[in-house]
Amino acid sequence: MQKNLKKLTKRSEPYIFLVVLALCLLIEVRSGQFFTANNLVDIASAMVVPGLFAIGTFMVIVSGGIDVSFPALASLTSYATTKILLDAGYTGGIWLPILMSMAMGALLGAFNGVFIGFLGLPAMIVTLGSSSVFKGLMQGALNSVQLTVIPKGMQSFGTSALFVATNPVSGLTSRMPLGFLVFAAVLILSFFIMRYTFFGRGIYAIGGNEVSAHRAGFHTKRTKFLLYVFVGMTASLAGLIRTCMMQQNHPTNMLGMEMNIIAGVVLGGTAITGGAGSLTGCMLGTLLIVIVENSMILIGIPTIWKSVFVGALIIIGTGISAYQVVRANRTGGFKSRIREVKA
Amino acid sequence: MKRILSLLLVSVMLLALAGTAFAQDKDWEIVVVPKDASNPWFVRMKVGVDEYAAETGLNVYQKGTPEIDATLQAQLVQDLIAQGVDAICVVPVNPESLEPVLKQAMDAGIVVIAHEGASLENVNYDIEAFSNTGYGAFIMDNLAEAMGEEGLYTTMVAHVTNASHNEWADAGVAHQKEKYPNMTLLADEARVESEDNGDVAYNKAKELFKKYPDLKGIMGTSSYDAPGVARAIDELGLVGKVFTSGTGMPADNKALLESGTVKSLTLWDPALAGKAMIALAVKVLNGEAIEAPIDLAVDGYTALTFKEGSDKVLEGQGWIVINKDNVDSFGF
Repeated sequence: MQKNLKKLTKRSEPYIFLVVLALCLLIEVRSGQFFTANNLVDIASAMVVPGLFAIGTFMVIVSGGIDVSFPALASLTSYATTKILLDAGYTGGIWLPILMSMAMGALLGAFNGVFIGFLGLPAMIVTLGSSSVFKGLMQGALNSVQLTVIPKGMQSFGTSALFVATNPVSGLTSRMPLGFLVFAAVLILSFFIMRYTFFGRGIYAIGGNEVSAHRAGFHTKRTKFLLYVFVGMTASLAGLIRTCMMQQNHPTNMLGMEMNIIAGVVLGGTAITGGAGSLTGCMLGTLLIVIVENSMILIGIPTIWKSVFVGALIIIGTGISAYQVVRANRTGGFKSRIREVKA
Repeated sequence: MKRILSLLLVSVMLLALAGTAFAQDKDWEIVVVPKDASNPWFVRMKVGVDEYAAETGLNVYQKGTPEIDATLQAQLVQDLIAQGVDAICVVPVNPESLEPVLKQAMDAGIVVIAHEGASLENVNYDIEAFSNTGYGAFIMDNLAEAMGEEGLYTTMVAHVTNASHNEWADAGVAHQKEKYPNMTLLADEARVESEDNGDVAYNKAKELFKKYPDLKGIMGTSSYDAPGVARAIDELGLVGKVFTSGTGMPADNKALLESGTVKSLTLWDPALAGKAMIALAVKVLNGEAIEAPIDLAVDGYTALTFKEGSDKVLEGQGWIVINKDNVDSFGF
């Protein structure tokens, strides 16, 4: 028991969890509205898209890479899907849009994957470049404008609710979107992949030391390639869900999200150098960012101070988890790093 | 001798004629720079710009950045200076940060006309569809009508640094104080930001209604505000209890207006604003005297007057209201 407790204090997740909890309590004290059914549903609903992005970003960072192209990728695939289906007068269900955008996402992910995996170019440079390419394709080739009408199937997917939470006092209602199920499914799948599959272990191994991973028998090139394909698919899924939930496609409003997503993942204790981190921590970090972004008014932070507050929180949060890693390394040395990897 | 003289006279006359014709047909290159290229507002502006080009045969076109970003816009203007265009008509993302670049343009002898940038110094002229105070009061009238002229309200702008949006909001508040004594401004959150993003407007509205159950209205300014707020009103089950009004495009908000979630939106036609900017640029390039009232031969811009105390800012009478009855009549 004591050993377990000691082990727990060396990990970063419990600290982030405490930060999240403290923030929730602060919001509750300031507004009395945090722990209401409708607010919790609002947070869960706001978590869907950043959560999906964070899963992909987490896997990439664990592999020792970085991806800044996912917002552009998601914008391009969701725009293309919506536009093509609108032009074709599609009236069917949600499955075709999902499959279409994920197929496109896989293709664009493969574009990143070829350069990063097989040609071994730096991930930062490649994804910065592909981000411009994707934006350019959308704005140049597809001549993107805001689409204010989306196909029927996507419309009903966006408005239908798993359940509706009502606040007994104020009578406000909030919908839990169906998209949350998709997010949960992807999360469980990724958890399984990262923990139990050869592919997932390979991602950790590559992030730790690519040469060693290769010598140990991992197909490093293929693993990296497939990783970016997977990330392309999750990002495009997020883009499509965003379009459905907003009931319109605004081609540029996801651009720029990458900074906060990466911050959330790093905040969650994922080593920016790769090789270590857990999906639990990543989700906690992302949750923290989502709560902060959607609670400024509830806390009562004046609009002009918002960015300062968000920035400060990111620095404090990342600082705490970074300090934990340093401390763990100092006392446990190599062993604790192994433990991190096992998690 | 007589014959030679008359021939000479005729040829001189012909030359003079050709000369004036040449002066009028001079191939001005005039570029319109909107805040970005995909916002339907500026897509509509492009319609006007293209129409103007087709009507007059001038080399006039619109060129926007891929996303709303002050830095990208400044770079684009710099590129245009390097290209040596004759006039730049710009809708600034962030007026203050664009000033130095516009100064470069003016120093290079380029005519600079702005729209929605009344605070700019380094421009020949700035055209506003209307006085900002007039429009802010106009939005407030619409909101007050929806709210039954009583209750708590707040204001939403794209960014607290956006010049026009904040002037409208200030004017709206001033107008309320003067004309609607039963309405009160929410003091704790008197101004929130939507970041020109429908999703942010939606989430901000949800937060506001949670924290302030008495809040009855939100005055929007950006074309994303009212539609985003309306989505929150719909989801929270507040239709008929709380209200929003603000700028919005007819076609985009057809469903909202018809369902009654939003009663009325206010607007001016960006296509006409685009045309007016170019028409003024042509006047300046031709060296015509600019004296109020100016007739640009564009609807709503036929009697432009200078804003009080300014010799740069021109104001028209271009505001319109859209509601469920006339939403189909605009063609955009």
